[in-house]
Amino acid sequence: MGERDTAAVRLEGITKRFGDVVANDDVDFRLEAGSIHALLGENGSGKTTLMSVLYGLYDEDDGEIYVDGERRTFDSPRAAMDAGVGMIHQHFQLVEPMTVLQNVILGHEPTEGGLVDDESARRKIREICGRYGFELPLDTPIEDLDLGAQQRVEIVKSLYRGAEILILDEPTAVLTPQEVDALIDVMRDLRADGRSLIFITHKLDEALDVADRITVLRDGEAIGTVPAAGTTEGELARMMVGRDVLFDRLDRETSPGETVLGVEDLSVRGDRGREQVAGVDLTVRESEILGIAGVQGNGQRELAEAIVGLRSVESGTIGLDGEEITGESRRQRIERGIAYIPENRQTEGLVQDYDLVRNALLGNQTVEPYASRGVIDWRAVEGHAESVVEEFDVQPAATDAEAASLSGGNQQKFIVGREIGHDPELMVASHPTRGVDIGSIEFIHNRLIELRDAGLAVLVVSSKLEEIRKLADRIAVMYEGEFIGVVDPDEVTDEDLGLLMAGRTLEGADDRPHESELEDEGGVVE
Amino acid sequence: MSDARSGLRPAIDRLADRALEATMVERIAIALVSTLLALCIGLVIVAAAGYDPVRFANQLLVGSFGGERAISRTLRYSTLFVLTGVAVAVAFRAGVFNIGVQGQFVVGGFATVVSIVGLAPYLPAGTAAGWLLIVVGTLAGVVAGGLYAALPGALKAYRGANEIITTIMLNFIATGFVGWLVAGRFSDPEVTAMRTRRLPDNVELPSVIFSDPNLSIVGLVATLAVVAAVALLMSRTSFGYDMVTSGHQGAAATYSGVDAKRMIVSTMTVSGMVAGLAGAVFAIMIQGYYTDPTGVGNYGFDAIAVSLLAANNPLGVVPAGLLFGGLESGGSNIQINSDVPVQLIDGVVGLVVLFVAAPELFRMAAARTGLGGDRR
Repeated sequence: MGERDTAAVRLEGITKRFGDVVANDDVDFRLEAGSIHALLGENGSGKTTLMSVLYGLYDEDDGEIYVDGERRTFDSPRAAMDAGVGMIHQHFQLVEPMTVLQNVILGHEPTEGGLVDDESARRKIREICGRYGFELPLDTPIEDLDLGAQQRVEIVKSLYRGAEILILDEPTAVLTPQEVDALIDVMRDLRADGRSLIFITHKLDEALDVADRITVLRDGEAIGTVPAAGTTEGELARMMVGRDVLFDRLDRETSPGETVLGVEDLSVRGDRGREQVAGVDLTVRESEILGIAGVQGNGQRELAEAIVGLRSVESGTIGLDGEEITGESRRQRIERGIAYIPENRQTEGLVQDYDLVRNALLGNQTVEPYASRGVIDWRAVEGHAESVVEEFDVQPAATDAEAASLSGGNQQKFIVGREIGHDPELMVASHPTRGVDIGSIEFIHNRLIELRDAGLAVLVVSSKLEEIRKLADRIAVMYEGEFIGVVDPDEVTDEDLGLLMAGRTLEGADDRPHESELEDEGGVVE
Repeated sequence: MSDARSGLRPAIDRLADRALEATMVERIAIALVSTLLALCIGLVIVAAAGYDPVRFANQLLVGSFGGERAISRTLRYSTLFVLTGVAVAVAFRAGVFNIGVQGQFVVGGFATVVSIVGLAPYLPAGTAAGWLLIVVGTLAGVVAGGLYAALPGALKAYRGANEIITTIMLNFIATGFVGWLVAGRFSDPEVTAMRTRRLPDNVELPSVIFSDPNLSIVGLVATLAVVAAVALLMSRTSFGYDMVTSGHQGAAATYSGVDAKRMIVSTMTVSGMVAGLAGAVFAIMIQGYYTDPTGVGNYGFDAIAVSLLAANNPLGVVPAGLLFGGLESGGSNIQINSDVPVQLIDGVVGLVVLFVAAPELFRMAAARTGLGGDRR
């Protein structure tokens, strides 16, 4: 390559194997300078592996990497960073108890006379933040920031280290719709600044919306690269899964029965002592899915955790099948049949370095037949793990695999399968398909609907509108700890839902059939 | 610089991969080779210091495994190392750092002696009463050790006090307080030495197989039974699963219904109970009375090394405890039978421990930090 190459990154014939598994099979990829390039594919299709090879996390088994036209081999992320390649991982690489400032400069601390020169770092970070309109509290510990802000810290960190080429691994998976819009604006600003971006995603609409070009990966192979302007969701979906995917809504024909979950005037404090749930009433009946929509951080997490017994209640009551359970422990509630798909599968839902058998016991420690009188029946647990893996199509289909070795979608399928296997009365599902590929989303949705049809009460918390609309029989919109409105998913529009999520009631709008339900500001859901 | 990196890092990764793949047999083989290597280096130092290395090596080996007396002594030490090692391992596996095993060992042993000496006058002499006293005394030791560990557990769970600091401080308190009681309220008026009254004659474990009066098959069997019980507790019971999961990933344990605070207290209690049992074994089987706690040895501290060497696995504590017991026994033999200074002996022993522990620590570090090639 004597000629000047206009590509910021060029990958030629990259092959990467993990044991017998070929994660990337002879993949070619070309990122034009100053453009946004989406890398689209289902979970486990090899997107992250490919980018990890570029970023120096993995050594390629075969193939060549060119950055700015120069042949490079990166044996560490540090080397990639020195060449101007930055990567923002799906699971953030931040030190939680340390402040924003400390995280950004970690490993690249400017020094003066052997001491860290906070002031010059502060100036440089302020300048970066100012350019992209970020408002980051530099002296706040990371653990006190929401995920959207943590992601902005990651972006600032990469820019601070001089990244010209930015790899964003599933950046929208953890964000609310509003945050996604803000991120997309930032990505466009970065491109306008002349930086080149690779955007890993499995969401078709986002790829179409933000990218200049889209490369689709399937089973470790590059299926093709298309300009975003000349393609459609349908075409991309076909390339991704190799078959047609239906995007349809489901019929609602069941009628709800007795009240299963009854919550009255519930108030709950958040991690920092602030009241996050402020006097909420709700009921979920048999054969009913109640959807709780809202921008993340409006108390949904605290509400769900209070119901499943992970968070103590400030005031109010929680009842299950007419019995008050407000004071019961998490374990007692598990034994009563409250299943919970947690918001954070990485830290809560699975023990990362346990195999799937040991993970199948998580939450079941005191439940027959997996344990009786304190003694575990490992054979029963193993049977449970095997049936979850089989029924929920968990890949790789090996119960001796460590949870950490599974892709996000497969981890989630395993958790959903395990929780359904508890034979619950009430299913609480927090963001059940966050970061999960299309095929698995469909699958998980169908299983939740099956639960409803089998007579269970289901509570779904999600910030994805299409998910809530598809699943819920009733939608309660949460805003600043209260239910700001309860609407019928068949009648409400996306615009109205968006307005409610932003804290605006629909009063004053033209007469809509559901308006009368919204009058009670306290948010009674009956 | 970049060349040096590219040469070193893959080499470390390969080594880490190899270490992580190593089978149990390989790991034991590595430990044996490490022992030999460390001894070779140690003997060079011994020679350089002007002592006879061959004699040193001979006395070390003979003193640990040569003959019944040496083996008895090794097993006696090993019993204490294994029990205290299990006590440490239990807590470490649950993610709680009990550095106070020494204090719990002292309090447990003292409670054993006090309860037996206090109860003996009300019981007839004879074997049956002796066994009753042994059982009661052992239980007293177990309970005292458990309570003494539950205290820092509760302080951590409900007041946020760092258990490493509180347990270390409680070690000093145990030593000082028990020492004060031994010298005062519980001292034997008939002797000038600082010690309690002797346990009555019927409180003695039977000598079968070993003629050593300070080693009983009962003590060995009880130790192995405790090891097996703890291993089963951790692998087969809901409580053990709760405990180990808490150590691996606290948030997941909480999600699964574990009360994190109560678990900290329970873990410390179990750990302290095992340490208290070690104290009871020391009091009944070995010493026969209680003395100034500054002179009872540092089993509770060495136990931390024993547990780490065993990767905090209660079954692994047995070979690790045997190694420590053997070194202790061989070391004391050299001390008695030669003029090699004790500092030099301890240095060589430390070298062995370091060499044996290094591969295991590297393994643990690699597993924790994700060193090594591309494991998914």
